[in-house]
Amino acid sequence: MSNVVIAHLLAQISPPQPMGHLTLAHFLVVSAVLFVLGLIGFLSRRNLIIMFLCTELMFQAAGLALIAFSRFHLNHTGEVFVIFVLTIAAAEAALALALVVLLYRRKQTLDAQAWAELNG
Amino acid sequence: MDAVVHPWVLFSCLALGALGVSMALPRPRISPQVVGAVIGAIALGGLFVSMGIKAGDDRPEFYFYLFSAIALGSALRVISHPRPVYAALYFILTILASSALYLVLEAEFMAFALIIIYAGAILITYLFVIMLAEQAPTGEEVGALSEYDRYSREPALATGVGFVLLALLTVMLTRGLGDDTIVPQPSRTHGAALLAELPKKVLGSLDRIGAMDGIETPELAAVGSLLSADGGSIRLTVTDAMKFAKSLERSDVAELVGGRESAQALASAVTTGQTVRLALPASLHEENIDGIGFALIAAHPMALELAGVILLMAMLGAVVLARKQIEIAEEAKAQAAIGGGG
Repeated sequence: MSNVVIAHLLAQISPPQPMGHLTLAHFLVVSAVLFVLGLIGFLSRRNLIIMFLCTELMFQAAGLALIAFSRFHLNHTGEVFVIFVLTIAAAEAALALALVVLLYRRKQTLDAQAWAELNG
Repeated sequence: MDAVVHPWVLFSCLALGALGVSMALPRPRISPQVVGAVIGAIALGGLFVSMGIKAGDDRPEFYFYLFSAIALGSALRVISHPRPVYAALYFILTILASSALYLVLEAEFMAFALIIIYAGAILITYLFVIMLAEQAPTGEEVGALSEYDRYSREPALATGVGFVLLALLTVMLTRGLGDDTIVPQPSRTHGAALLAELPKKVLGSLDRIGAMDGIETPELAAVGSLLSADGGSIRLTVTDAMKFAKSLERSDVAELVGGRESAQALASAVTTGQTVRLALPASLHEENIDGIGFALIAAHPMALELAGVILLMAMLGAVVLARKQIEIAEEAKAQAAIGGGG
C-alpha cells in the first residue's frame, strides 16, 4: 500500500533540473530549516533562556519567509509585516525575560525540569 | 509541476541533517558535537548542491548560499552550544547573516532595521538576563556549567520531530512552487500619485543635476498638479531665461527636454515667464524606504498604532513582573510618607 503511495508521489515529481537562478523555494527552504532548528532547540534545551532564544530563531525564520514573499510578489506588504513581527518579538522578549527572572527568583535555577511538578 | 529537488535526494539530505543535529546537541559523557556539525554541514551542502548551486555570473546566488550557510550553521550552534552567553552571541551571527539575506532580497530598510532592533536591542536584553541569572562560579569550579546546560532533553526525539516537520514543509515547498524564479526587480518609475506625495524628492532630483537654474521653485503642495498624468514629466515656469538657457548646455539637463537639438532650439527661444516641460531624471526611482513608508503609514496606520500600544503594554507588564516584591509594614509606609512630605 505504502509503495503505491510513494510511486504515486514519485510520478508527480520529475527528476531534478539544474537551475541557474534563485527561486522563492530556495529562501523558503532556508527559512524552514531555520524554523525547524529553532523548534528542535525549544524542545530539547533545558535552559529557559535558551528556550526563548529558540523562539526568536523561529521568528527569524518567519521574517525571512515574509521578506522572500514580499520580494517575489514585488510589493512591500511582507516587509511591513516583518516590522510588526519585530514588534511582537520585542514585546515577547520583554515579557518572557521578565517571567524568566521571576521563575529564577522562585527556584534559583533556570532548569525547565525544575517546574516538572506542573505536569500534575 | 517540476520539483526543485528530487524527493529521495531531499529525504536523504534531511536524514543526514537530522543525524548531524542530534549528534551536535549537548549530551552526557561523550558529546560528538564536532562530528555532528560536520555531518550537518555535509547535509546542508548536499541540499544546496541538489538545489542547483551554480558559481559564476550570478552574484546574488553566491551570496545567498554563503549567508544561508552562515545563518543555519550559527543557528545550529545556538541550539547546541552549552554556554548560554555563546548561544546568544551565535544568535547575533544568525541575525547578521539573515540581514544579509534580506539584502540579497533587496529589502534594504528591513535588513538594517533587523540589525538595529534584534542585534542591538533584543539580544542585549537577553545577554543581560543571562548574566543576571547565571550562578556565580564558586572558587575552584570556575567555568563549570550547570547540569541543565550540559545535557539536552531527549535530543533524538526532538530532532526526529523537527525533521519530520521539515520533510513535510520542504516536500510541500518543492512540489508546489516548481521553478518560480525570483524575477529581477523592474526599474520602477514612480506613478504620478506617488510622486505627488514626494515633492521634495522630485525637485531635489532636478536640482541635483542643475536643472533648476533660472526656474521658479513651485510650492511643494502644487507639485502634484504640475506633474503629467503618467508621472514622467513636470511643468515648470522659467524666471530667468539666460540662466536656464545656460543650464541647457549641460548634457544631462538637455536630456530632460529631449536631447541636444531640442535643447538648443529651446535655449534660443526661451523667454522669461514661459512654461517649460521637463522630463524627470532617470536617477529618480522608487527606493525601498519609499515603498515601505507608504505601505506602512498609508496602508496600515491602525496596525502601526496598535503595535505602539502593544509595546507599551509589554513594557508595563515587564516592569510589573520583574520588580522585587518587598513587604512594607503599614507603619513604615506612613513613616516614609511623612518623611517624604516634610
